[in-house]
Amino acid sequence: MRRASAAGVLLAVVAALVAAGGAGAKARACGTVTINEQAWAGSTANTYVVKNVLEKNLGCKVNITKITEVPVYQAMADGKTDAILEDWGHIPQQKQYVTKQHTVVYAGKNGVTGVIGWYIPTYLMKQHPEFKTWKGLKGEETLFKSPESGSQGMFLGGDPSYQQKDQTLIKALHLNFKFVSVGAEPAQVARWEQLYKQHKPVIFYWYDPQYLNATYQLSQVQLPARFKGCLDDEKQGGPPAKYACAYPTYVLTKFMSKKFATSGSPAVTVIKNFSWSNADQNYVAGLIAGNHMDPDKAAQQWIAKNKAKVNAWLGK
Amino acid sequence: MASVQAAPRLAVAAPRPWWRGRPGIVVGVVVGMLIAYFGWKNSVPWPGGLTWQSLSHDLDNFQTWLSDRRNVPHPSVFFVVFNGVATFLDDIVGWLTSFFFKLTWVGTAALGTAVVLRFGGRRAALGTAAAFVSFAALGVWEASMRTFALTFASVALSLAIGVPVGIAAGRSDRVQRAITPVLDAMQIIPAFAYLMPIVLLLSVGPGAAVATTLIYSIPPAIRITALGIRSVPTNTVEAAEAFGATKLQTLLKVQLPLARRLVLLAVNQTILFALSMVVIAGLIGGQGLGDVVTNGLYSDPALAILAGFTIVIMAIALDRATEAMAIRTDPAHRHLTAEHKRALRIYTAALTALVGLAIGLGLALHAGSSWSRKTAQDWLLARIQSVLDYVQNPSTFIFHITNPVGDFIVRWGLTPLDNFFVQTPWPAMVFGLALIAFLISGLRPAVTTVAMLAIVGVSNEWTQAMDTLSQVLVATALTLLVGIPLGIWAAESNRVQKTMRPVLDVLQTLPQLVYIIPFIYLMPVSIVPGVIAAVLYASPVVIRLVDAGVREVSPNTVEAAGAFGATRLQVLAKVKVPLARDAIMLGVNQGLIMVLAVVVIGGLVGSGGLGYDVAQGLGRGLFGQGVLASLAILCLGIALDRVTRGRVRRREGIV
Repeated sequence: MRRASAAGVLLAVVAALVAAGGAGAKARACGTVTINEQAWAGSTANTYVVKNVLEKNLGCKVNITKITEVPVYQAMADGKTDAILEDWGHIPQQKQYVTKQHTVVYAGKNGVTGVIGWYIPTYLMKQHPEFKTWKGLKGEETLFKSPESGSQGMFLGGDPSYQQKDQTLIKALHLNFKFVSVGAEPAQVARWEQLYKQHKPVIFYWYDPQYLNATYQLSQVQLPARFKGCLDDEKQGGPPAKYACAYPTYVLTKFMSKKFATSGSPAVTVIKNFSWSNADQNYVAGLIAGNHMDPDKAAQQWIAKNKAKVNAWLGK
Repeated sequence: MASVQAAPRLAVAAPRPWWRGRPGIVVGVVVGMLIAYFGWKNSVPWPGGLTWQSLSHDLDNFQTWLSDRRNVPHPSVFFVVFNGVATFLDDIVGWLTSFFFKLTWVGTAALGTAVVLRFGGRRAALGTAAAFVSFAALGVWEASMRTFALTFASVALSLAIGVPVGIAAGRSDRVQRAITPVLDAMQIIPAFAYLMPIVLLLSVGPGAAVATTLIYSIPPAIRITALGIRSVPTNTVEAAEAFGATKLQTLLKVQLPLARRLVLLAVNQTILFALSMVVIAGLIGGQGLGDVVTNGLYSDPALAILAGFTIVIMAIALDRATEAMAIRTDPAHRHLTAEHKRALRIYTAALTALVGLAIGLGLALHAGSSWSRKTAQDWLLARIQSVLDYVQNPSTFIFHITNPVGDFIVRWGLTPLDNFFVQTPWPAMVFGLALIAFLISGLRPAVTTVAMLAIVGVSNEWTQAMDTLSQVLVATALTLLVGIPLGIWAAESNRVQKTMRPVLDVLQTLPQLVYIIPFIYLMPVSIVPGVIAAVLYASPVVIRLVDAGVREVSPNTVEAAGAFGATRLQVLAKVKVPLARDAIMLGVNQGLIMVLAVVVIGGLVGSGGLGYDVAQGLGRGLFGQGVLASLAILCLGIALDRVTRGRVRRREGIV
């Protein structure tokens, strides 16, 4: 009886070994690359396009981490993630990790220009042309009343993890708004989408490039570039004249961990060369978030149509 | 009718004074606070002089300082230790994950099913196999295996630490007394509160996720093991000692075998506690299903819901499998003959061979680490999405019901209460809450309440904390309104209890964030989804505790009351419920703690208050803000726990 059991085990081991030998034969030159994907659809688009280029053209194995914007710098310093492909200007972190510690290195622009601001639906802008600038909002805040805001108007805040300073702005500009955050981006979208569909007034934190901007007509409320009440919350300091109110235009950038940048992996060059346009990103992001397409498939679809751009990244 | 009139006077349980007399005083205190609110609304905020204004900034600087010390080529011993721990934990999870992936999905499913089949029996194995099939069919195979690896590592470590400590606590009163407050704190603090410090010390990744899970899953391992050791009859232990057994022999040969059932229960509970942390762990780099839930919330809410239910499947399968294995392998119930043993050995060998074959087959067919074939995922996601789209569409009739309901709750329930808590002059608030704590629970909880409120105020979190507190109280009130009647109903009827069980199982194992998702669309007014999710999550525990408490009332007492001619309703109202009061109070206590945990997580989806501050602190690297909000959550948790538990604890003298 013992023999029967021993034979069984032997059989299993042999079967496993034979199969393992067959599977492990492929060699890989690039190794493993870990890219961090951020919460918004545009970042998913960047990440999956680069992932597919690295996998299909260089034979890399690409892992994806999903760490939020700021902690990801520590993750890069620890070598837990190799690269981020879309950073919205985190100046304190760049000072700390890139300039001071040299644990993270700059990897160039990603070609996309980002805009953050206060948005209202275009139908509302047509009814109230004075909302073109923030001054037009003064005295009319109660138009934006909601159950949560009491006697004030509701300002719908952005995702708590996103780059923002709306509470400071509302206070600085003396607007009668109550800052209401409904939390993560989909919750915020659900909220303003419903008000939009009912053609009700709403004012909210929003940004571009964003695939939803193709579906909904939104207009930006212009904020003052400089205003004495605005303390710049990016902590750049300087004289009050330098205090910026309106959000700057963000030239989106890429970063890599020092360890990865000096590893000699062929993926480093591709990530450095990666750059595309707002339209490219919106196309892929729209497929993923709007049409619920598998991110890999969406990326492959774009790659198939844009051979020239991909070849430029590969240095061909 | 005559007998009905007579029965109450003869009721066995005399109502205790606090149940009757004190509510009057409590109402008086609340009226006083209301007068203070209407008289001095908003005019006495927490004074700046009593606030440590620069604390948040100091903490930020501390974090930068630590980070600069840490990210150097040769960090100090302190960081070497923490980095070592983080790497060690990362490696365990990484190794387990790649092990499962190497086996391919065919092999892993075969291995899992074979283990349960060998030790747990056919029924449990069928459940396990079904779970494995559903992971593959739902297209979340890879994420499920990552989560399983994370859970497995956490449970193994929890038991490696928890069982020895539990044995020590079971054998020594002094150890028990020393660790009880620590265990209390570990279980009261919502996990959301210790994410910031963990990220600072252990960075992000699976290691940090395991550490977070450990904090939550070690206490049940210790507690139940200690209870097991203590439940061994003293005379048995004395007898062993009389026969000259050493302490070690007594432990290994007498106490542990006799405590076996409870130690295995500890394993089972530890698994469930660890699984319940998966989503939170996803926030700090714990990969797998938790990650799918937290990120799916952004990119694909339908996928997040699907992943949430996968966690439920995994929890229920693991629960049933470990339960079956514990029962089947109980030496008290099986007396193996040599013949039987040999048969089992062949069985084992055959299963091993089959698993080996399955692995070989998987590798030969290039089944890979993930299920790459066509799955039901797309189809299911489309269904879930269409439901979400439907409830989200403002022109459907559901919207016309849910939207006004949500508005109503916010406008007439949450907002006024929130204003009351935030705008009442702080001295009135502190004094009032302390007085209520005193009336409910006595002097010590009242002092604790004052101390905790003081910490909250000094750390500049007063407004946020009052905001959170108001939501917690609303949600707890609703939970009790739902939970106590349902619990009593379940105690009165076996059929109700049986029908409710699977529903409660699902509600308890479904990650809290998943509850919130549909309500974001149904009632998109910021605070409501968090409150509703809290009620759904906390009700099962209240229902179960009330059910157990009412059922435990001595049948003699009930019979006596019946003999005096009390109707069923009278027995319930005058005998069973008053006697089950302690269990009900424990339900209130557990309900509160769970509600606090959910309301805080609700910060991710618009509950505001302390949860928002932590979410933002984590997401934007605002360390000071995150830590102070976490501290305030801790304070609220401790105060609420002390106030609601003081009486029960004192009377029972345990836990």
